[in-house]
Amino acid sequence: MFRRFEYYLREVTSGLRRNGLVAFAAVSTTFIALLLFGLALLISRQVNLMIEATTGNVEVAVYLSDPVNPQTVDALTQKLASLPAVANVTYESKAEACAKFKQEFANQPGLVQGVSCDPKDNPLPASLRVKLAHPEEYSQVAAVLGCRSDGTCAQPGVDKIYDFRGLLDRLFAVTRVFRVGVLLVALVMLIAAAILIANTVRMGLFARRKEIGIMKLVGATNWRIRIPFLIEGLFESLIGASLAVLFLFGLKVAFINPLYGKIQFVPWVTNSDVVAVIPWLVVAGALVALIAGFAGMRRFLDV
Amino acid sequence: MISLQHVTKIYKNSVVALDDVSVEIEKGEFVFIVGASGSGKSTFIRLLLKEEEATKGDIYVAGKNLAKLTPWKVPYLRRNIGTVFQDFKLLQDKTVFDNVGFALEVIGKPKHVIDQRVPEILELVGLGDKINNYPDELSGGEQQRVSIARACVNRPLLLLADEPTGNLDPTTSVDIMRLLDRVNRIGTTVVMATHDQAIVDAMRRRVIELDAGKVIRDQSRGVYS
Repeated sequence: MFRRFEYYLREVTSGLRRNGLVAFAAVSTTFIALLLFGLALLISRQVNLMIEATTGNVEVAVYLSDPVNPQTVDALTQKLASLPAVANVTYESKAEACAKFKQEFANQPGLVQGVSCDPKDNPLPASLRVKLAHPEEYSQVAAVLGCRSDGTCAQPGVDKIYDFRGLLDRLFAVTRVFRVGVLLVALVMLIAAAILIANTVRMGLFARRKEIGIMKLVGATNWRIRIPFLIEGLFESLIGASLAVLFLFGLKVAFINPLYGKIQFVPWVTNSDVVAVIPWLVVAGALVALIAGFAGMRRFLDV
Repeated sequence: MISLQHVTKIYKNSVVALDDVSVEIEKGEFVFIVGASGSGKSTFIRLLLKEEEATKGDIYVAGKNLAKLTPWKVPYLRRNIGTVFQDFKLLQDKTVFDNVGFALEVIGKPKHVIDQRVPEILELVGLGDKINNYPDELSGGEQQRVSIARACVNRPLLLLADEPTGNLDPTTSVDIMRLLDRVNRIGTTVVMATHDQAIVDAMRRRVIELDAGKVIRDQSRGVYS
């Protein structure tokens, strides 16, 4: 087992040395492609964070007036849940709202310090978070609570109703365009990277056609011949992926870190968000390398 | 060991290389395939290695029907067949030891087997003192000995030689033939394609003569023509 590993290692390093320049091109293209891919993922993460912070991912929030009467909560929940337009209703108490607020803005101490979760002077309202099964039938919800167009409601115990649909729609539309754009560029770059990796594999095969001919003659299996070339491609793309990860961290430190706490009510991506992107980059890089490797070897290894 | 039954090989450009050839070769035989260039000698060898497939007819090597051999089993067939060529096919950046060891390494033999068998076989072919030389430091005859050592190091049942003396002068050729004869005497079946008349006449072994893809003579203890 170790011997086999040693054999592959030797084949791969000599392969990389032999076509250094093409390998460099493959590595840098993979790097740029995966960087853009990672960027697209982080941008959508950032947008999701913003949406989460502003809307809590619900379409309609029904804010309850203080003090909150538990019977009113039950009655309203039942009333709303029975509407055909409503998918589900969850109750968020004042304490929960406060805890969530503190968590979302943990990196903005100024903001958090001004808010107390003490039941006596907790400024955040309790609410019913309503998710709609049919967003276009929002009017049902407004009607049943007797709400007017300015958001105030006739229903006792209800302070205000807030409709996030318009905001969500606009946010999604803007980010979709942006995300699709970046992903498209990333895709084009990934294809370019695949072609370059396929090319290094092909050049390696060509440079070693005599050796491969002998290997076939003495009865080496096709896998024995292929694996060093596949590993070589994999190695190149994983170097590209590592560089992309480093660069993403660099970009995050350079551009996002200074923003922490600068803009009120906006949460930013954190280091763990960047870490969460790593597996995606590695998987994308590995897939590209394997596909490219097999494409590069096609026909070359027919017995 | 080898059985060809009504084998015809037509290449894509409709050249007929072999035309209804039937040949039986027993285990332990030494057989010359002779004939002019283009008579089908090389095709004969390539078919036995499954480098080419017969257009018609059946080929059996070591009990296996080659037409029914799936591609992933071909390497295992070849591990039983040693091959020697006119141009030696040695790797210039590897020493004599590594060239021979390469054949064992790429079929996954462990290091201790390589370290034992390679010096053994190099001793047998008379190159015990050139183990660490590179091919370009050797004469043509010595290089061919390395390639024979490589072909035999995995102890094949069958040795195929395609014009092994084609690049060598007559005296060196005789040495190489002695070596092949020795390989044959330890039980390896040897099939050698050649148009070296002197060698065939001197050896007095079975001769199969091809002409335009047909067997025109099959003679035990024969001469070239």
